[in-house]
Amino acid sequence: MNPKKQFTEGLITNNPVLVQQIGMCATMAITTTLFNGIGMGLSVLIILTCCNVVISAIRKFIPSEIRLAIFVVVIAGFVTIVDMLLQAFVPALSEALGVFIPLIVVNCIIIGRAEAFCQKNTVKDSFFDGIFQGIGYTCVLILMCVIRELLGAGRFGGGLIDVANGFRFTLDGTGAGIQIFPESYGASIMSLPFGGFLTLGFLIAAMQYTLKKSADRKAAKAEQEKEAEK
Amino acid sequence: MNNKILRLSLVLFAICAVVAGVLGVINALTAPVIDAQKQAKTAAAFASVLKADRFEQIEFSNPDFPTVQTVHKAEGVGYVVTSVFSGAQGNITLAVGVDNDNRCTGISVIEHSETSGLGANAASTGEVGVNFRAQFVGQDESIALANAGGSIDALTGATITSRAITEAVATSIRAVKSLA
Repeated sequence: MNPKKQFTEGLITNNPVLVQQIGMCATMAITTTLFNGIGMGLSVLIILTCCNVVISAIRKFIPSEIRLAIFVVVIAGFVTIVDMLLQAFVPALSEALGVFIPLIVVNCIIIGRAEAFCQKNTVKDSFFDGIFQGIGYTCVLILMCVIRELLGAGRFGGGLIDVANGFRFTLDGTGAGIQIFPESYGASIMSLPFGGFLTLGFLIAAMQYTLKKSADRKAAKAEQEKEAEK
Repeated sequence: MNNKILRLSLVLFAICAVVAGVLGVINALTAPVIDAQKQAKTAAAFASVLKADRFEQIEFSNPDFPTVQTVHKAEGVGYVVTSVFSGAQGNITLAVGVDNDNRCTGISVIEHSETSGLGANAASTGEVGVNFRAQFVGQDESIALANAGGSIDALTGATITSRAITEAVATSIRAVKSLA
């Protein structure tokens, strides 16, 4: 398996959210500010990579009857570690994401990758799988955050960018973001879970359309070549 | 058959034991930092609701005020009451400053899980949050939302978070009154 192919798979052709459609609950719930989106994306990326590596490393010792129980124990362990570290060192993020950090335990991205990928592949492949699936997940979160924050609150980069005290990045979630139009003009429905469903629906539709287009084009090309051979 | 069950249990037990051990170590490392964070946050909340140098916790266990958690006295200035009550999504922990005339001197949301962009604005450092909290300064126990005949403008149309906070402020003031 080559990392380059895994990269395109994670980001586009087998994107966890837009194609496999796993891990959607948190995706819709937390994508209200860029700060939350990046924080959640990176947390999932780290947990996913650690779990992938550990699970593929012990895959030969895991009896298949109890594999799900073992996956859950390993995942819960890493999630709790990340949760404690966030509470201690990035409290603003831990507060903003709230219950969604502990809920990564039951986020189907991680158990899905463990079941579908890590228990059949080497540690190295699983490591790259974790990184690239995590990046794919993070990209979708960022995209959703940007759309929802702009339409819902007229803002870009809430929590992350501080323009009041010169342009700088804040890591404690205090930045007010760049106000593009007044907050009261925003459709606050976009910052509610409903807006999450709406945004995700449109993104999935756009993704499926693009994938289908490119598949059709490939098929048409193959057909043409066949004709030419005749 | 029995052997197999035993083997499966042992494998699962071994993995659980390793994970538990690692978690124990991490917990020992992070627990003091997390505690310090929480204390600093509470101290900051107290300082923002009542201008005083020292806060001293006093005994408070009145069954009429089940939501009140702690009462701190600042000698000669007033009291800070923390209470935990239900908001729209989960519990809200609120610190309320009360002066010697039984008027609110300020409120600060310590913990909450309200809806982002709506009820969560009660705790935000943005303009909406600051203006919302400023309305409580100087209010007495008859405090009420504008739609209930009072003067507090709610954060949202649904008013769940705003009403819960308004009621908690009134309760805190009454709790301080009950001390006298």
